[in-house]
Parts: sequence; structure tokens; C-alpha cells
Amino acid sequence: MTGITPLSPTAHRDLRYNRHAAGAARRFARLGLSEIAVAAADMPLCLVKDGQTGRFDLVALMSLVEPANLFVVGGGFQATYVPRAVLLGGFRLDPTGAAGLAIDPADPSLGGVGEPLFDEHRPTALSGDIAPALERLVADVAAAQEMADSWARHRLIRPLPLSLSKADGGRHDLAGLYTIDEAAVQALPDAELIALHRADRLAPAAVLTASLAQVERLRQLHNARFVPAITDYSLD
Amino acid sequence: MSDKYKGGQILLCAGTFGIEGGKRAGEDQVVETGVADTEVKRVVVVGGGSAGWIAACRLAAQVRRTGAGVGVTLIESRNVPTVGVGEGTWPTMRNTLAKIGIAETDFIRSCDAAFKQGARFVGWTDGTPQDGYYHPLNPPAGATEIDLAPHWLHRGEGDAAFADWVDYQAMLCDAGLGPKTIVMPEYAGHANYAYHLDAGKFATMLRDHGVGTLGIEHVLGDVLRPRMTDHGDIVHLELADGRNVAGDLFVDCTGFAARLIGGIYDVPFRRCGDVLFADRAIALQVPYDDEDAPITCHTVSTAQGSGWIWDIGLWSRRGVGHVYSSAHISDDAAEAELRRHVGTAAQGLSARRISIEAGHRTRFWQNNCVAVGLSAGFLEPLEASALMLIEASMDAIADRLPRNRAAMDVMARQFNATFTHHWMRIIEFLKLHYVLTKRTDTDFWRDNVAASSIPDGLVERLAMWRHHSPGPQDFDHAREVFSWPSYQYILHGMGFDSRQPRIDPSAPEAGLAQRFVTRMQRAKDELRTRAPRHRDLLRAIREHGLQRV
Repeated sequence: MTGITPLSPTAHRDLRYNRHAAGAARRFARLGLSEIAVAAADMPLCLVKDGQTGRFDLVALMSLVEPANLFVVGGGFQATYVPRAVLLGGFRLDPTGAAGLAIDPADPSLGGVGEPLFDEHRPTALSGDIAPALERLVADVAAAQEMADSWARHRLIRPLPLSLSKADGGRHDLAGLYTIDEAAVQALPDAELIALHRADRLAPAAVLTASLAQVERLRQLHNARFVPAITDYSLD
Repeated sequence: MSDKYKGGQILLCAGTFGIEGGKRAGEDQVVETGVADTEVKRVVVVGGGSAGWIAACRLAAQVRRTGAGVGVTLIESRNVPTVGVGEGTWPTMRNTLAKIGIAETDFIRSCDAAFKQGARFVGWTDGTPQDGYYHPLNPPAGATEIDLAPHWLHRGEGDAAFADWVDYQAMLCDAGLGPKTIVMPEYAGHANYAYHLDAGKFATMLRDHGVGTLGIEHVLGDVLRPRMTDHGDIVHLELADGRNVAGDLFVDCTGFAARLIGGIYDVPFRRCGDVLFADRAIALQVPYDDEDAPITCHTVSTAQGSGWIWDIGLWSRRGVGHVYSSAHISDDAAEAELRRHVGTAAQGLSARRISIEAGHRTRFWQNNCVAVGLSAGFLEPLEASALMLIEASMDAIADRLPRNRAAMDVMARQFNATFTHHWMRIIEFLKLHYVLTKRTDTDFWRDNVAASSIPDGLVERLAMWRHHSPGPQDFDHAREVFSWPSYQYILHGMGFDSRQPRIDPSAPEAGLAQRFVTRMQRAKDELRTRAPRHRDLLRAIREHGLQRV
């Protein structure tokens, strides 16, 4: 992160963007509100706290104990959906940079392979599309955070203790994850329930809960590439 | 006096206001049959300070939780100002607030609150510039499995002070780091913690919550006199405007005036000024130099010639005060000493003078009246026990609210025995801070070590602790307000001369001790880099709030 630098037509003239390499080292990605349904088709979705504010962020898990993204295999992202924060992970909004961008040169999506960011000294159409995409993503993530705030206000969030059993007899507990407290949803007074439904806060909550079944997919992906195998897990 | 109180003219009490009781004629006569079976349906709390609102809120929240069908009324006088000190809490306040249903974020925002991780005592042992030690809120590492004190006593030369050797919280205090992070849930931390708060704002917050959320009936009025049964129970309290407030249990939170427990029942007050000499306090509210000034994360108690000065950090100001013995220093000299201690920041600030009568009631629960807060007693605020005693009292009352009048007598006996014990032990513990001093520079310190001023129980325990460190077996009750870790922190912090035998470094217990110390040291190293600066933490909480989970 310390290497973030404004995009420059001189310094980065030959830089290219490879969407297939994006997110190789990312273990989770923040999600926007509009991504919930599509991301849940591949990944478990849960909530984590922002380290600066303590507010809940919506994230898609892409690994369990591995220092790698389990979906990035064989040079590509092997899932039906790639979170936009993964695709755009190499870029930041920066009005002082070319095309209104800054870049993280260490991001695997940026290098000598892929689509060019500049045509000679002019930003390509791809570069021109990235800043608006980032702006949409920021707004979408903020909308997801507002929804999580709403769940928190209604006390619908509970810790998600995810415990993994490994073939070598070891155990690994993942702390700091949160999910929807279904019992609390069930116990909501009718008026609050209807208000949350009208505000479209309940359907996404149900998707989040259902997405936890994808932990099994992560377990399978882990066992295909890493040892010791994960033999079991619990989500209490 | 209104006509309906004319009758027996039997004076039941002497005190701040006289109450007449006895037999009453005609329709005003109280029917005494079946008193024992009278259900407790309404609790009346008298007094609108911190004690009154904590009491009323604890009761109302408990009644709500259990569906007990008991109403709670609080009578507050417009004409009686609250004392407004008592700005330090114990960690118990976290439980109390949670039970009352107040979010920690709301509390911190509303009460100007800051975190407190213990106390640092400066100048108490010998008065030299390097004289200081911590009484942190964390127990020593491994406290449930091992006593580290004898291992510390025989440590190598140059090793850390006791509090620093057995725990990491002194480091957090020294570095100005907070006891939790913004991602931790409400009321949870990486270190044990309490609060510093603005007592006036605290009472206001409790009142708003109690009336708005918990359904407490708030009556504004001045209590004039009670109406009593022949058995001496209070039937109702007559207010100056003629209204009567009836109840089955009355909680006296009227402060130093003690209008029910003292005024009605004349329960004797047991003074302890012969043990604890402080009988005056002068308080200043000191603004910070700038809005980003560090906020001290512990109480600083600095010994003076005839007392000591507290310094606590709130979000927007410091509370600084001098507690002293008027037999050893004049009020004006004490104020001058306080202003000298504060420095230029004290210029132009008005000081508030408070008289303290150290001691407590010989009974706290009499008939259907129980005293909570200053009406029960008061001691110098050396270990901030005032609010804790209110909480402990209300835990005992609210969690076991008697269902009827008969059960109340049993409760009263237990309550009186328990809290008489607590007061006695608190007095001993406060005295401990004085008797271990090596200071001889003033009469105050010399008088404090006079054998005649030291309670027998403390003398006995100090003799015992020459040979072993304080432990849980040294106390009569399983639940002591100050338990053995607190005694260890004071004794070893003040260099108590202990003659405990050396533990063989090759013994299994020495290895166990080393493991706990090593583990604690790892936690200390991690927190040194991970824990947030105290003011930054408070700012984040005020801006973003803490999550409930």
C-alpha cells in the first residue's frame, strides 16, 4: 500500500492491466450492495469490522487459512463472479493522476501483460472507464455499509466463530467474522420486520445466511491444493 | 403539619427533619393486619443524584427483565443540589450499565467519559521524586493458578516494579494507551477497565434513560414528612406541595442529609475519622491546554503534606482535587497547595469545597427503608469506592427484590451484615495506603502510622503478610470488595518488608511462574504496538460508536 502512486503517462506508459491476474493474493474482498446475490453464488459472505471505525463491512471470503486466494488457480479467477474490489484492486481514485487514478504497482493485475493503460501518452478507453467504475464501487460499498449499520442498529448481527479441523489433528479458529443472527431476525417485532422488509434489508440478510454454505466450497478448494487437508468445520 | 398527621405524637426520630407517627384516628388509621404478606408493588427512591438514578434504573431494568410487576418512583428535589463528585468508577460499572440497558457508546458520549485502568500513587512511600507505583485493574498474570508475588520478591536486581512484572496494564497507563480497540464490542477490552465520568452528566443520562425507556415515575418535589405504620414502616412520603408518594420499599439516596435512614430512623452513624483523617476536599475542573492533549488513562493520586491530590482525565477536562485533614492543614492552605499542584491552569478557576464525615451507618436497611449512596456512608475517594458501593447495594437489592414485607426483614439482616463487613474492609484497605508509608515529614503522615489509628484486623493481616503474600484464604468472605490482588499491588508497590522464603528456581512452580511472566510479556509487547492512544480511541468511539457484538 505504501507504493501507491499517481498514474503517470511517462512513468507508466508501458503498464498493462491483466484482469485474470487480479486478486491472486487477496483473502477477502469488500463487496458492494449490488454484488451480494452474484458473489454468494461462489463465496461465503460475512461481515468484518473496519479497523478505523469499528463499523461493519460486507466481505466475500476467498480463503480460509491459506495465504492465497483459493479461487485463483491456473492463471485465472475460477469463479462465476469476480468481486469488483478484486478487479479494481490495483487502482485508486486520485484527481492528480492520469485518468483520475493512482495505482498500486505491486498489485498482480498490473505489469507487462494485458491491456495497455496508455496509447502513447494518452490514457486508453480502458483507463478512462476505471475511475467511474471505482466511483460506482465506492458508492456501492457505502450502501452495503449502511445496510450493515441498519442490521447493527436492530441487533441482527452476531459473531461467526468459524472453526476448522485439520487432518493433522490441528484446529484453526477464525475470529473477527460476523453474520446475521437469525434468531434475532425471528424475534423482531412485526413493525420493525415490515420496515426492514420494505427497506430491502431482509432479503440480503437471507442471502448472507445462505452463503455460509460456500465455506464447504472453500474447504474443497483448500483440499485440492494445500495440506494438511481441512477435514471438518463448524459454524456456530 | 397537616391535620391528618395529628394523633399519637410519638417522635420516632431525631435528625434533619422530625417525623411523627404512632396511632392515627379515623380514616387515616393504617390497618396493620396482614403486613407480613403485603406484596412489594412499588419501590420509591428518594434523591436525584447518581445514587438515586442508578438505584431507580437498576430496579426498573430488573423489573422489566423479570416481569415482576413492580413500579419504580423517584422523588427528586429541585432545591437540593447533588454533590456532583464521585467521578471514578470500578469495572463493575460496565456490568451495571449493561444491566440498565445503556449502550457504552451513549454513555461515553453523554458523560464526557474516559477510560480508567487503575491508579498511580505518587509520593506515598517516601516522598522522593521517583516514588510511585500502580494499582492496575488487571489481576496479576495467572492469578487463578499461581501467586507470582513470591517469585517477584526474589527476582534479580534491576527487574521491574511489582505491577510491571506481573501485568501489562502499568505499561498501557504509562504509554497513554487505551484498554480496548474500536473493533471490540461494547464493554469488552484487552485489559480490565473502568471509567472517569462527569457525575452531573451521568445523573442526567440515567434520568433520561430511566424515565424515557424504563418507565420510572419521576416526581419533582420536596419530601416534607413520612407517614408511618405502627411497626415503623414508611407508608408514604408527603411532599411540600401536599402530594403523597406511597410505596412498599423506600430507597434513601438523599446524600449526606440521609433524610430517611437518619432523619426518620435515626440509625447511628459510625465515624471512622480516627482511622482515616481526611475530612475535607477541594475540587477544581481544569480544562486541557489543547483539544488533542493526552488523556491520562488512570487516576493519579499524589501525596501531599496533609492529604493527597486526585487527578482524573475526562474527555473535555480534568477533575483535580485535594483531600486533606483539617486537623493538619487549613482550608486556605490546602487550596493554595492544590493550585500550586495544578499550576497556571488553575488561574481563574473557582474551587469547590466539600466537607467529609468519614464513616457509615451501623445499619443500612431499617424496616422498609434502605440507604444507598452517601446516606449510607462516605469515605475519602482514595480507591473510588463510592459508586461501586451503590452498584453493589443495588445488585443485592434489585437481583433479590423481596416479594413481600416478610421477606424484607430477612433481606435486611443479610444486607446489613454484608455491607457492615464491606465498609469495615474498605476502611482497612484505605488505611493500608497510609500505614505502609515511610514518610515522617509531617504530622499527618506520622499520625497515620500511630498504632491507635490502625484497625486490629489490618494489624493482624499485616503481621501475617510478613510471611506470605495476600491470598484468597486471608479473607472472611468469598466476595470481598477488595480482593487479594489489590492488597498485593499496594503492599509490594510500597515496598512492604516481606520475609517470605525463597522459592527454589529449579522447582516446578518457578518454571510455571516464568511461563506466565513470559506470556504476559508477549501480550505487553503486542499491546505496546497495537493498542490505540487513549484520546484517539475515545475520539473514534464518539465519532463512530462501538458495536454491541
